[in-house]
Amino acid sequence: MVVLKLGIILVLILSFFWLFVFGPFYDHIATQLVVLIGVIGWNMLRFSLRETISLLKFCFPFVFTLFLFGLIFHFTRLLGRQDWLEDTFIKCIVFPSSLVFLKVLLSYITYLDILNLPISMKKRVDLITIKSAFSKGEKILRRFSWYLNTYSGLESGSNIKYRLKKYACLMIALYLYLYEEIENSNRLLRNRYQHLHEANK
Amino acid sequence: MQIKKGTYRLEKRGLNFNLSDELNFNNSANCFYLRGGNGFGKTSFLEKIIIPALKENKVPYLYIGQDIRTQLYTLRSLLAVQGIKVFDHDEVELLKLWINHSRSATVFILDEFDKYFPDHGFIFDWSNAFIRTYIMVTHLGYGQSEAVAAKYRTCNVKFDLIDFDGHIRNISIKKE
Repeated sequence: MVVLKLGIILVLILSFFWLFVFGPFYDHIATQLVVLIGVIGWNMLRFSLRETISLLKFCFPFVFTLFLFGLIFHFTRLLGRQDWLEDTFIKCIVFPSSLVFLKVLLSYITYLDILNLPISMKKRVDLITIKSAFSKGEKILRRFSWYLNTYSGLESGSNIKYRLKKYACLMIALYLYLYEEIENSNRLLRNRYQHLHEANK
Repeated sequence: MQIKKGTYRLEKRGLNFNLSDELNFNNSANCFYLRGGNGFGKTSFLEKIIIPALKENKVPYLYIGQDIRTQLYTLRSLLAVQGIKVFDHDEVELLKLWINHSRSATVFILDEFDKYFPDHGFIFDWSNAFIRTYIMVTHLGYGQSEAVAAKYRTCNVKFDLIDFDGHIRNISIKKE
């Protein structure tokens, strides 16, 4: 049963990417907008409005940077292409919609599903660790952002400079956190499993 | 900068503060100890009332939160972005670096810092050259906060539960 569930999730992910990211509907702006609205709505129903806003805020600097580069490429007529603006606009929709889609769909995979997978315990532990670290990472972002707002040292310079520095700090802090969290959780899980295994013997 | 006496509601957190005395952070060499039971909203009062007021009045401050282990990730990344080498620094060295690079601050807020570092006196040694006001949430007894008492006028601020109707906790805040 769990293999079927995970299989369906995998097929849905592959279909989404085949249809909207690399495939026939990639350059249909209207379809992409509908997909974006659809996945945002799905995320709101699955989680909450607050969580959705925070996720979109997280995407914003990436989308903004993408747009900025698209604009520069358009005005410099890079590689002689005329369609930079249109292509950038599509990418600015596809990026958040695929991210939100992946996030919502993967949230249907539970720890019990992972435990029931017909794979070795070592691989199960790895998957559990990754799931746990990323769900913690998502929650911790808001707190990191809150702390960064209290550091006046970041505020020197223009507003754009401040925001760029803040997001750089946020990314580094998140990376450090995930790195340590994955290592610690993995060690803890292996240790517990080993003791449980020995106790059962 | 001062927090005027009156009622402060934090509905999302289910807290209603009744501040009986004005808290004045303008005078130098003051140390405010915020005391009270768990769940009485000391951290919420800091993060939702005091810190926004400091920001609004453009008072430069330092804040060490109760979840210091989480905060340390942001401190490490902040210092790294500022071009300061932090790779092999432990948490105490990291705090020292950060405080040394934040000498424009005049207010230092510490939320249960003494819980993590019982020998927390070092934080005052590093910062008392430029900090005018300390605000500390503590569970330590009245006589145990001597590290700062010699140099700073102490003001104890007590949080007490008046009542709880199942949703909102009414909290009184008084100077002692």
